Amino acid sequence: MTILQSAILAVFQAAVLLLLAPVFTGISRVMRAKMHSRRGPGILQDYRDLFKLFKRQDVAPAASGVLFRIMPYELLGTMLFVAMVLPIFSLQAPVGVAGDLITFAYLFALTRFLFSVSGLESGSPFAALGASRESTLGILVEPTMILSLLVAALINGTTNLSSISRSIASGQVQAPAAMFLAFVAFGFAVYIEMGKLPFDMAEAEQELQEGPLTEYAGSGLATLKWGLALKKLVVASFFVTTFIPYGTSETLSIGSSVQAFVLFLIKLLAVYLLASLVENGMARGRFLLTSRTTWVGFGVASLSFVFYLAGL
Amino acid sequence: MMSPLSMLLVSTLVFTGGAFLALLCCKSDRASINLSGIAGVIGSLAGLAASMPVLLGGQVLTYMSPGPFPFTQFTVRFDPMAAFMVFVIALLVLIASIYSFSYVREYEGRGAWAMGFFMNLFVASMIVLVAVDNAFYFLVFFELMSLSSYFLVINDQTKEAVDAGFLYFLIAHAGSILIMGSFFIFWWKTGSLNFADFRIAQLSTPLASLAFLLAFFGFGAKAGMVPLHSWLPRAHPAAPSHASALMSGVMVKIGVFGIIKVGVDLLGATATWWGILVLAIGAISAVLGVLYALTEQDIKRLLAYSTVENVGIILMGVGVGMIGMATRNPVLAVMGLLGALYHTLNHAVFKGLLFFGAGSIIYRAHTRNMEELGGLARTMPYTAIAFLTGAMAISALPPLNGFVSEWFTYQALFNMSHTGEFLLRFVGPIGVVMLALTGALAGMCFVKLYGITFSGNPRSEHASHSTEAPAPMVLAMVLLAIGCAVLGICAPLVAPIMAGIASSLAGTAMVPVAQGTVVFPGNTMQAMVSMPLITILLLATPFLPVIISFVFKGPRLARRHKGDAWACGYAHEEKMVLSSEGFAQPIRFMFSPMFRLREILSPSRPLNAGLEASIRGAASSEAVVDTYIITPIMKLAHWLGGWIQWLQHGDFRVYCLYVVVALIGLLLVVV
Repeated sequence: MTILQSAILAVFQAAVLLLLAPVFTGISRVMRAKMHSRRGPGILQDYRDLFKLFKRQDVAPAASGVLFRIMPYELLGTMLFVAMVLPIFSLQAPVGVAGDLITFAYLFALTRFLFSVSGLESGSPFAALGASRESTLGILVEPTMILSLLVAALINGTTNLSSISRSIASGQVQAPAAMFLAFVAFGFAVYIEMGKLPFDMAEAEQELQEGPLTEYAGSGLATLKWGLALKKLVVASFFVTTFIPYGTSETLSIGSSVQAFVLFLIKLLAVYLLASLVENGMARGRFLLTSRTTWVGFGVASLSFVFYLAGL
Repeated sequence: MMSPLSMLLVSTLVFTGGAFLALLCCKSDRASINLSGIAGVIGSLAGLAASMPVLLGGQVLTYMSPGPFPFTQFTVRFDPMAAFMVFVIALLVLIASIYSFSYVREYEGRGAWAMGFFMNLFVASMIVLVAVDNAFYFLVFFELMSLSSYFLVINDQTKEAVDAGFLYFLIAHAGSILIMGSFFIFWWKTGSLNFADFRIAQLSTPLASLAFLLAFFGFGAKAGMVPLHSWLPRAHPAAPSHASALMSGVMVKIGVFGIIKVGVDLLGATATWWGILVLAIGAISAVLGVLYALTEQDIKRLLAYSTVENVGIILMGVGVGMIGMATRNPVLAVMGLLGALYHTLNHAVFKGLLFFGAGSIIYRAHTRNMEELGGLARTMPYTAIAFLTGAMAISALPPLNGFVSEWFTYQALFNMSHTGEFLLRFVGPIGVVMLALTGALAGMCFVKLYGITFSGNPRSEHASHSTEAPAPMVLAMVLLAIGCAVLGICAPLVAPIMAGIASSLAGTAMVPVAQGTVVFPGNTMQAMVSMPLITILLLATPFLPVIISFVFKGPRLARRHKGDAWACGYAHEEKMVLSSEGFAQPIRFMFSPMFRLREILSPSRPLNAGLEASIRGAASSEAVVDTYIITPIMKLAHWLGGWIQWLQHGDFRVYCLYVVVALIGLLLVVV
């Protein structure tokens, strides 16, 4: 691919994910409504919400500063950037030079940092609590995420995400049991990052992870909601493109990319349905005890590491 | 054009001269501040000029002059590592000197002249220290550095500062003794105190290990690694902020430099377990340092704990580099040391920036307690922007500099986990996870520091009446903030220089680390990252949502940002908002065993007990001396006096008799 082609593909890919993001949150909402035995909103409800919010006035407390205002745009922008790094249409990611697992993890850290600071910036008690909890969750999820990715990287001898998915796609994984456990552990981390129960209650926004949203209104809120929807989608896409890249081909042609994309959507749908099932089957726990739950994920990741060492 | 060595001499002389000029002007604080500041600027410019040719050219310059005794042969070896240290020192001192022109005015009438004296002496001793190649002079300048910084710590003369200074004094000297022990082993085997002879010394493995361990813990005390860190969060905050910046940004690096000097340069990192030990202690320091930082309410103490964390990260890189040398894996050796050196430079830049920021806050709001600050972003906007840049850089967020050096450390650890033998494959991922945990904790820590201090509403009168810091202080901070960005974005230019120093240290061939805009850890297959591209994308992508928001605007009313935050319909009070302590509460709860550990491991109690014991010992040994030496001597004197008294009856005739007897005696002797 020439640089121009990859640039076009990168922008296209980001745009596709951006447009798809509200559909998938819509699917989550529909699923939750079904499991609550209520009618609930339609799949396209989030688009309507966004359009409505964009037209509304931007209201915020006096304490909110510049950072508070630019954060939604930076969050959505960073997520667009991450969306460009993923190998979706072919195993060759459009922006490969930014696509190793450490850069990936720290781009998420960047959004989390700005998200939390903007929570404190508004001067609202809820937003500040949300900021504290958001950062804490980041600490709890980071070791699991890095260790499971590291095991995958070690098995494949590279930290470059496209290379990892390429070597998984080739079907020649040296330590399949370790790889499977890493897959499970990373799935756990993805579940937390998607902001699901028992870690978060997406529609009770003042309370937990989305606390920093409290003081946003109008276009800022719309951008932020869209950004968080894209974040969920990007995390889930990252999971499926890295660990289940089957069906995606090495070269980029119209036929193969359509096939890859359709399979990608099906895999994403499966991830969202599974996440919804788990989420709605769970009770909410005390936030301070969350670390006990995340130990499970870290335990699985450690086990995958032990399996890798044993060469299983 | 002068040679680098003469530039180095000029730099040292200017600093020394500045120190004594500040002392001479002790009558006028203002003149003393200006003179020592100007000396700082000139001296550090000379230092930068001295280090640049060596850094870029990679040559080794030496100088030798005989001393009055065989062991005092004054040898200087200006190699890339020494040049790198001089560069880091001079860079931060340059900015600190600019900062000091305004900042030290706060101390007028409170010993500003002494501060100028000790500050310049401190810097001069560090610059000479890194370049000398003789153990005797090394120790002399090491002591000079410790002593002059000790006086900076106790500058405020409060009980807190004096206590902190005393603890620092004790631990620094305990460290010095260990270092002397290490050098003694070398001297014992080579009969020389020149590092050149140390390098070729044939030490048996146990002896070399002992020398390394002594040096590691000796220098480790200076570097503030866990478990020898407890002085650091007390001493660094006690010093004036520009001195804290130098102590945290540069002086702890002298400790790291010492570990590299002995472990890598002198001993050649021959045993694998040395590297593993350094890596393990580094990882523990990193996690515990940032964990303790997170629960601090005092800005400068928080920053000092974060120094413990960053020293840990640097030591992790050093450890991996040493493992690479021991296992004869040149790429691993260079990558580990590269990560360590890069982080050394980066930490100097952003920790300097953050301490200067803390100094500006103290200068304007007169408190270090975060609970009494808040809302400073509106009253001190430039300080806030610079501080935010520093906070993001130290949290290793792309595209700033902290990210690049941690990325290299991660890649070195990955390389080790992938290519090493079984033990290393086991240790490496643990290091990666600890580094990841450190990164996440650091993120939260600096969200708290920035958020509680600069965001929200002011929590005290001082905070609401603060104004922007004076121009020199803002300039210093902005320069360092630009440095954070440049060292991150220009990684493809900086990394090869660091790799050059690392390969000269490890004695390996140059390892390629950059090509075009991309940096990579030795080979492009393992990973690569393009910092310029990341920067461009991070700056460009937010425009898309801005455009979308504009397109869908419709008949939207204008922005309204006023009033209080929502509080469930109740009137908003500042007390409702999360405090700094509350922000970190989940961490305190979830990691409570680690905090109990701090109580258990705190050396204050054993140190105090030891001190009391030695005072008691001194008191009782004084009694021993009294009973067995002083008292008999006194009795003897008394007894002699009695006899002499008996001779002196006061009778004139008896004295005449004495004279006659003496004359007769003399006559008898002569005849």
